[in-house]
Amino acid sequence: MTFITIVVRGLLRRPVRTGLTLVGISIGIAAVVALVGLSSGYEKSMTEQLDQIGVDIVVSNMAGGFLPKVFDASLQGKIDKVPGVAKTTTVLMEMQSVEEAPMIMVSGREWGGFTWDKLTVTSGRLPRDGAEHAVVLGRMAAEVLKKKVGDKLQLEAEELPVVGIVDGRGVVENGAVILSLQALQEITDNAGKANFVDVRVKPNSTKEEVSRICGEIKKIFPEGRAVVTGEVVSTSQGFRIARAMSWSTSFLAIVVGVLGVMNTMLMTVFERTHEIGILLAVGWKRRRIVYMVLCESALLGFFGGLIGVALGALGVWVLEHTTGIRGMLEPDLSPKLLLTSVAIAVVVGVISGVYPGWRSSRLSPSVALQA
Amino acid sequence: MVETATTGSSDVVYEAVGLKKEFDGGKVAALRGVDLQIKQGEFVAIIGPSGCGKSTLLASLGSLDRPSEGTLTYRGQSIPDMADPAAYRAHEIGFIFQAFQLLPTFKVVENVQIPMFEGTLSRSERRERAVELLKSVGLDHRLNHFPSELSGGERQRVAIARSLANGPSVLLADEPTGNLDSNSAQQILELILQLHRDLGMTLVLVTHDLTIAERATRVVSMRDGRIVSDRVSATSTAAI
Repeated sequence: MTFITIVVRGLLRRPVRTGLTLVGISIGIAAVVALVGLSSGYEKSMTEQLDQIGVDIVVSNMAGGFLPKVFDASLQGKIDKVPGVAKTTTVLMEMQSVEEAPMIMVSGREWGGFTWDKLTVTSGRLPRDGAEHAVVLGRMAAEVLKKKVGDKLQLEAEELPVVGIVDGRGVVENGAVILSLQALQEITDNAGKANFVDVRVKPNSTKEEVSRICGEIKKIFPEGRAVVTGEVVSTSQGFRIARAMSWSTSFLAIVVGVLGVMNTMLMTVFERTHEIGILLAVGWKRRRIVYMVLCESALLGFFGGLIGVALGALGVWVLEHTTGIRGMLEPDLSPKLLLTSVAIAVVVGVISGVYPGWRSSRLSPSVALQA
Repeated sequence: MVETATTGSSDVVYEAVGLKKEFDGGKVAALRGVDLQIKQGEFVAIIGPSGCGKSTLLASLGSLDRPSEGTLTYRGQSIPDMADPAAYRAHEIGFIFQAFQLLPTFKVVENVQIPMFEGTLSRSERRERAVELLKSVGLDHRLNHFPSELSGGERQRVAIARSLANGPSVLLADEPTGNLDSNSAQQILELILQLHRDLGMTLVLVTHDLTIAERATRVVSMRDGRIVSDRVSATSTAAI
């Protein structure tokens, strides 16, 4: 028999209560895994997408929130003249409710710009030119909207033909409705406007050169921002809010978990007052009893964490495969997130055990024996 | 002060002077000034009616309770002021209770190992020693039973084996046969006496059974929180 045997035996005394406490913690941890995994997955795929397209700098006015405010597309001409800039292209991006899909990304791209280059047409074709009012759908967007080539898609007040289905090798591209910038400007009454200028710098530019270019652009466009691709997501207000919301929701779930474990451990200590009296009477040090209570609660946290990670991953999988959402999520359940979640659960367990442990160490052996 | 049967300071294990214990903020006085000296290897029976303070005195000797007043020493060291009372309980004394006080969710062989966690034995050594101790109390066939599966006498044997876990020099027994039928009580008493004899342990036994007290080398009689007589062997029991 080892010390851990004693700890485990303590938890198995009341299997139902231990089980319910595990459910409590695991729901909290599942929330962490699901919410944080989804938001970081979205961030990751957005960054990867920009990398794939070959965007080095993104220029926008992020004051607007999740998606930036529109500005005059003529800014592109000024950025083109900045030394070190190889290519630029303008994008008007909107999140819209399109037919049955509650929220879908609609991306209007400057015709002939490099953002069209990485799209592989899987069926149909791309728009003939910038003036054609026609859309191509990302693979998953087509699935969500239940459209195929030849169908019509209602965008704002206009019905546009779906001329192609494309694979953009990423959840953002594949989940989008894509059309020419000019067409989207006309449909949304945003003539001459865009909300992104994607910049590609000259090959082999150093980090210093890229940040110099960002500085130059900032001078031309003081109300906006020029951000290096890798930092677009981490500095975006919208993503920051999403991340804060997912962590704060998780935090609440964790607080509920802490209270659950603390309640269980307090009940355990009250119920086992007599047993603790015996342990004290046969010579157990008070700190060993505190350690026993802390180990029990940490073990509850650990197993709650493991179950929570499994539940969270399962929940995300279910969401991923739910009609209407399918294809829009690319969760990032990294080993780091899973390990962090289990670690949080163990810390939750230990914190929850501190007060009950302290209570148990205050017991007088003779009084405890009479309990 | 009642004259004690043993005098002098050599080999003194316990010494109590003016020992008082009050409960409920002084409303209840369990010990009202006890003076007592117990020497190495003695078998002292503490007798008296219920509520006379004999169990409180034993709890004080075992550092389970803290006296309100007076001094109490173990081999010259103040028990209430011990820096590590747990170590004293774990290694110096063995406690045997009337209600056995076994842990119900642990097997017999595990119960005996519980005090050994305060020692330096390895996992296998702990088990080996527990088996050896249970063998010495005649319970080697009950190692993997739970306390609830044992008779009262068997449970008390487990408790005795547990009390010997860390090789103490003193055995404190609080009505060890109080919950047993007469046959089992006799066997348990013989076992305790054998330990006292064979291991040379100092034995302090609380009882209200005069036939048990007759077996002691010294009988301390208490009433209303005070020692009313302290005599050697059978002569004292006759005086009560």
